[in-house]
Amino acid sequence: MIIFISGGAKNGKSSLAQELAVKLARGGKRYYVATMIPVDQEDRDRIRRHVADRDGLGFETVECGRNLPACLDRVDRSASFLLDSTTALLMNELFDPERDYALDPAAPERCREDLLRFVRGVANVVVVSDYIYSDAQHYDEITETYRRGLADMDRSLAAVSDIVIEVSAGRVIVHKGVLPQ
Amino acid sequence: MTLIIGGAYQGKLAFARETFSLAEEDVFTCSGTEIDFSKPCINALEEFTLACIRQGTDPIACLREHRAQWERTIFICQDLFCGVVPIDTELRTWRHTTGLVCQYLSREAERVSRIFCGLEQRLK
Repeated sequence: MIIFISGGAKNGKSSLAQELAVKLARGGKRYYVATMIPVDQEDRDRIRRHVADRDGLGFETVECGRNLPACLDRVDRSASFLLDSTTALLMNELFDPERDYALDPAAPERCREDLLRFVRGVANVVVVSDYIYSDAQHYDEITETYRRGLADMDRSLAAVSDIVIEVSAGRVIVHKGVLPQ
Repeated sequence: MTLIIGGAYQGKLAFARETFSLAEEDVFTCSGTEIDFSKPCINALEEFTLACIRQGTDPIACLREHRAQWERTIFICQDLFCGVVPIDTELRTWRHTTGLVCQYLSREAERVSRIFCGLEQRLK
């Protein structure tokens, strides 16, 4: 089962994703795929808040900020996975720390393929993305590369997902499939 | 008339082409204040509203003037009116006016679809 969740910031995507990943596990093994590579105190505080949110839900954390399919070798693939978020994954791959954070033009397509390989390689997965496509701005080429790349990942994932959900103000809009009871 | 809205890169044109079996030459992509209403599909309507703002003309008045010509047209417009209100006056007017254009077309439309990550959400 593949569930894809997107929507605006601070609308309740992560909480819903946790709830659904626990549900899909049916009491069995569940992993949290941690995608953020912290670079400052703000990031570390954010991670601490997310860890506290997950406390008591029984997730084992798998750190995987880059090269997503590599983590498949370290886990029980029959488990339930929560991947939060594609936004962080693309960011980590798009700006290469080994090359002074220069933009890697091959990253969006690589990320899209990695994501598809990952979701197809596990029994159950809930993936969270961010909806960043509806504002009146002319962005620079780097930002547009990022937006286009993330949208390609979103669309490819939505196409193979069993359930596609948009969260708005904590409310759920189901675009595809039926929510598990 | 059909109105298709949605965010950037969401697959609005791909959806229109597949749903209405459109060829490449059936699509007019806006880049100024002129629209070729003979084409079945008019894409990037937000570029038309931006050009109108820059020229100081009213895009809704222009559409109204050609009302008889788009009875069966498929309009595609980016819903760029959802984000933060921009400080820049031109962008702010663009956001506002594009919202009004979509409201006008939505009232006139037989079908309104919003595309989210390549999937259709029927609004009308």
